Amino acid sequence: MEDPVAQLLTRIAAQDRAAFRDIYAATSAKLMGVLLRILNDRAESEDALQEVYTRVWLRAGRFDASKGRGMTWLIAMARNLAIDRLRSRRDVTAEEGAVEAIVDRGPNAEGQTIALGEARRVAECFATLEPDRADAVRGAYLEGHSYQDLADRYAVPLNTMRTWLRRSLLRLRECLDK
Amino acid sequence: MTDTPMTPREEDDALAAEYVLGVLDLAERRAVEERVKADTAFAAMVSGWESRLSGLNDAFAEAPAPNLLPKIEARLFPVAAAPRRSWFGWFAGAAVAATVAIAAIVILPTAPAPELVATLQGEGQPLVIAASYAGGEITVTRAGGPEAESGRVYELWLIAGENAPVSLGLIEGETVTRAVAVMPEGAVLAISLEPDGGSPTGQPTGPVLVTGVVTKI
Repeated sequence: MEDPVAQLLTRIAAQDRAAFRDIYAATSAKLMGVLLRILNDRAESEDALQEVYTRVWLRAGRFDASKGRGMTWLIAMARNLAIDRLRSRRDVTAEEGAVEAIVDRGPNAEGQTIALGEARRVAECFATLEPDRADAVRGAYLEGHSYQDLADRYAVPLNTMRTWLRRSLLRLRECLDK
Repeated sequence: MTDTPMTPREEDDALAAEYVLGVLDLAERRAVEERVKADTAFAAMVSGWESRLSGLNDAFAEAPAPNLLPKIEARLFPVAAAPRRSWFGWFAGAAVAATVAIAAIVILPTAPAPELVATLQGEGQPLVIAASYAGGEITVTRAGGPEAESGRVYELWLIAGENAPVSLGLIEGETVTRAVAVMPEGAVLAISLEPDGGSPTGQPTGPVLVTGVVTKI
């Protein structure tokens, strides 16, 4: 399958600065969307975006096109950075604000968006889960909710949430790997 | 798969999924990242989940990003035009004159028991630097991660309180020992990635890769 982002990453691994500018042009809007969604703060997202592309340059050599698509790799890197920042932020601030922010968002906001291509299979498999568990998994992935956020939101003990989510994930895997 | 306990493999796979999902706290995330580096089977579980859940990525709407490329390139490629020899000489001279902290590189045959230690780490960063300080000497060891790529070098900085970072020199090879007159407890040590020869400005110019706080042993 054609993967132009992967081709750019291969060139960047060989220190090609033109490829680096091209990948920024081609992917920065998507990664900015990821960072903004999770961090919910424009200044911090812009700072994180600089860090993401710094890492892209430094780590492009570790990208392995046989293991996945270039865009998936970039988004994983952006999500990891955003989640790390979110966790360090929340470790020192009160949890209440975060929880209110979660409740404000409709639980099914993603329902329509996930419809095409690979996303379709994910949507079908999510549909095999109980709706609130599917929402919990989706919310964690897209908004960066922690176990504590989810436990508060669904008013269950943290360990119960953990058991719920782990079971749901393994069921998702069964469905997605079919 | 209702109430049967998970097998160890299922436990590992669930942990990989939790990491990719992002629900773990910081300490757990760091522990998973350590494991990814050391355990290829587990690393494969993590990339498996990244692919599996990538179908959700369509739900991230694009957002216009400002052109941050000039800033990013300035971080990554700071000295395109600088004459290396001359600024390196200036840098070394200025650093010695400006601080009491720096002396020469000293190779110690035997190290005394450390009084202060620091572990330098960074988010998602393979580089790990162990530092120990005793008897006016700091010994810095690259405990994990690769050497700096060709054309770049790791530079060590000491940040005491509100003071500007002071260079403690370049970290080349596995272990470097340097004489440092003052090492305050609670100070921060940091490694930045600099062009060959070290920072051209006397302050960090490349990305700061890892940091750690100096603590009593």
